[in-house]
Amino acid sequence: MSDDRYREHLRRRYRVIGRALGFLFLLNALLMLLPLILLIWTPQEWWLAPAFVLAAGILALAGWLLRRTEREQERLPLSLAEGSVVVVLAWLSAISVGALPFCWAGLSVSQAFFETTSGWTTTGLSVVDVTSCPALLLFYRSLLQLAGGAGLAILLVSLLAIRGSAGLNAAEGHNEQLVPQVRHSARLVIRLYGGYVVVGLLGLKLAGMSWFDAVNHAFCALSTGGFSTHAAPLAQWASPAAQTILILLMLLGMTNFLTAYTLLCGRWHAVWRNGELRLAVVLLGMALFALCWHEMPRWQINDSLEQFRISLFQIVSALSTTGFVITDIEAGDNFCWLLLILLMLVGGGNGSTAGGIKQQRLLVLLKSVKQLLWQFSHPPHEVHEEILWTGDQKRPLTLVEVSRAGSYVLLYLATWLAGSLVLTAYGHDMARSLFEFASTLGTVGLSLGLTNPDVPPGQLWLQSAGMLLGRLEFLVLFWGLTRLAKEILPLLTPRNNRPRP
Amino acid sequence: MNPEQDGPASLLDAVRLNDPVAPVVIVGCGRLGAMLASRLSRGERRVVVVDRNQAAFAQLDADFSGFRVTGDATELEVLREAGLEQAAYLLVTTEKDTLNLMVAQVGRTVFSVPQVMARVYDPQRESLYRAFDIETISPTSLTALAFLQRTPAPGGY
Repeated sequence: MSDDRYREHLRRRYRVIGRALGFLFLLNALLMLLPLILLIWTPQEWWLAPAFVLAAGILALAGWLLRRTEREQERLPLSLAEGSVVVVLAWLSAISVGALPFCWAGLSVSQAFFETTSGWTTTGLSVVDVTSCPALLLFYRSLLQLAGGAGLAILLVSLLAIRGSAGLNAAEGHNEQLVPQVRHSARLVIRLYGGYVVVGLLGLKLAGMSWFDAVNHAFCALSTGGFSTHAAPLAQWASPAAQTILILLMLLGMTNFLTAYTLLCGRWHAVWRNGELRLAVVLLGMALFALCWHEMPRWQINDSLEQFRISLFQIVSALSTTGFVITDIEAGDNFCWLLLILLMLVGGGNGSTAGGIKQQRLLVLLKSVKQLLWQFSHPPHEVHEEILWTGDQKRPLTLVEVSRAGSYVLLYLATWLAGSLVLTAYGHDMARSLFEFASTLGTVGLSLGLTNPDVPPGQLWLQSAGMLLGRLEFLVLFWGLTRLAKEILPLLTPRNNRPRP
Repeated sequence: MNPEQDGPASLLDAVRLNDPVAPVVIVGCGRLGAMLASRLSRGERRVVVVDRNQAAFAQLDADFSGFRVTGDATELEVLREAGLEQAAYLLVTTEKDTLNLMVAQVGRTVFSVPQVMARVYDPQRESLYRAFDIETISPTSLTALAFLQRTPAPGGY
């Protein structure tokens, strides 16, 4: 009897989950139709259109069916764990169905899946030959990055009033709100993001890019994605002004939306107090100094400004986990590679579009180190509290927070090393493997040539998994999958499988 | 309040009250405070809850999406952090009548929150609150009324 009741409870919960998931599918279906707008300018690529329509059709049908499962009138909220189930399922299906157009264009299943994952997770590693790829597909992958940078759930929350918005939003990694109402906050984030995009693409157009390049690069810089429409490094074709604008866009992309919002509201003191922002400035400054110091002997007098810009671009591209390539990194030496690896591991700001360990966690751990040092030089009973500022709100540094950050960093580094180990098993050398997997896990997209159209499927799947883990911040993926694994059996067993006494 | 101040002040009050994004601040996250906060948050209001005890926030709904401020509401700094300067409504629902009066009064006079409501158990204190331009809701009076409505008395109450 209690088993039956448990199953009934599960069924009710999963109807709520199904409803939210249905909405996400419908939204995703709309998104799949968006790239077709480009056909107005490139009508010769109409042969790709059926793939997009088919993908949208599958999603719409699935979404419609899921929405029908909801029977009761009462709207139940979603908890964070249930939100994780929704987010994980939504992302996995978005990636699987999103791979369809690439398959249609002739990529293998693993390559198509890899490319779509790289799009949705805003990584930017690519197995597509950009020079021969149809413009429609190039635009499609940029659009995936734009959507992936914001996230599916936040789009949904900003559009529709559904119960459980808070759980959904938090499950996707937007754990800090701009204002004390999740829907208003989601709308503000989308508005900020949209504003950035418009300003960015106009800026890039003015700096001499074609409309197509400007749109694609604005999308991919702000989402810290890093797909490019040219095979050649940026330094060879983009104007200095365009490069500078891209640097600014990448910096915006890696800044916490909450910090950007406080900045726009003109609350300067709140911005200055923000430890995360200060940490980013210090990291950028130190890395820039180190790289310039190292490269300086090779600079000519007349191109030193350009070299400086290139160094800055590379550092911002790595720290913001964008992965735009300005110059051939393979030509660099071990120092340059290790510096980039370190920056890629740290990553961008909490609640931004960037990946990596995130500066917030590093800040928490640094403060904890500071506290340890402080305790050493003070009497044992003297109390000292470290304060963390986010926007206008302050909170004391708690042990829980330190242990969370510590565990996450351990998990991240362990996964990084394990993944690199597997890459070396594929026959790549150690430095390149470490670089490539740091880039994969941090959703960066810089590559030392290990990711190319000829890699074996196994490596592609490994890297796809790495990108997804990095984007969904491990725990959400674990929570969602374990919860599903535990509950899928009792959920699917028929109601009266057991004779009643 | 004298009439010269009353005019512009009430106009400002009206602007703040009709602003859908002006937050509701709730002081005290007990059973009542948590319920109010959860319902209002579900109804797409911006909500900030203040409580001295962080564990109290566990009573909030899973889909409460407002801010939680931990601190003593008798401190101006805490109230400022809760955004009382922009708030349209202040609901004071702690267990203590006297504390409620004080916080409500600070909200009305220092932060000029247009609509301040406080819970007060002791019906005899209600007139005092009203003198300070604070609306009161007394569980005692409300319960008494509910009982009395179901218990007719021939001579009236």
